[in-house]
Amino acid sequence: MARLSGLQKDVLSLYRQCLRAVKLKPNDTQSHFRDFARSEFHKHRDVGKKDFGTIEYLLRRGRNQLESYSDSGIRDIRR
Amino acid sequence: MFRTALLRSARSAVRAAPRCQAAMARPVARTAFFQPKPMTPSVYCQAVRCYAASAGLSQEEVLGRIMDLLKNFDKVQDTSKLNLESHFHNDLGLDSLDTVEVVMAIEEEFSIEIPDKEADAIHSVKQAVDYIVAQPDAH
Repeated sequence: MARLSGLQKDVLSLYRQCLRAVKLKPNDTQSHFRDFARSEFHKHRDVGKKDFGTIEYLLRRGRNQLESYSDSGIRDIRR
Repeated sequence: MFRTALLRSARSAVRAAPRCQAAMARPVARTAFFQPKPMTPSVYCQAVRCYAASAGLSQEEVLGRIMDLLKNFDKVQDTSKLNLESHFHNDLGLDSLDTVEVVMAIEEEFSIEIPDKEADAIHSVKQAVDYIVAQPDAH
């Protein structure tokens, strides 16, 4: 695999944070949260490597989502 | 009087130390082959190694556990290419997001936390095995 750019590392780091946050959720709904995080990232996997504006926007949105879903009041997620 | 006693005990401790360290450094797997060893040194060391001795994972054990983990990972389709030399992307067809998931699953399996920087450097089974073997608190 080619060396990762700073932006790619940020994306992977956000993904890692999301997966770590999943483990703080109740055991029976963890898989829902994991599937949600997976699908959110895979939804945008075709965004161009050089499309910095879009990636930065998605990163910002992802961070906000992570923050709001991390609230311990949120126990389940459905789509 | 007190000082001579102290010196004498320190000296005997120094004399005893290399013997017990040699025994502690001996890999777990090898002890099985040398069963008929004189019993006294190992018994003597038993008292020493109770708390501090690390589990000392062998490379084969780490590899086996990582293999099992990858076999059960739903994104790995072609398990025939799975061996020590497999590259996550080139051989197993995992993308960078899947690699993050694999590395996190490895963290969980060995109950350690891998910092982002080192986690980003793990791209193959061999790199993962080497990293875990080098971790003293992995078990």
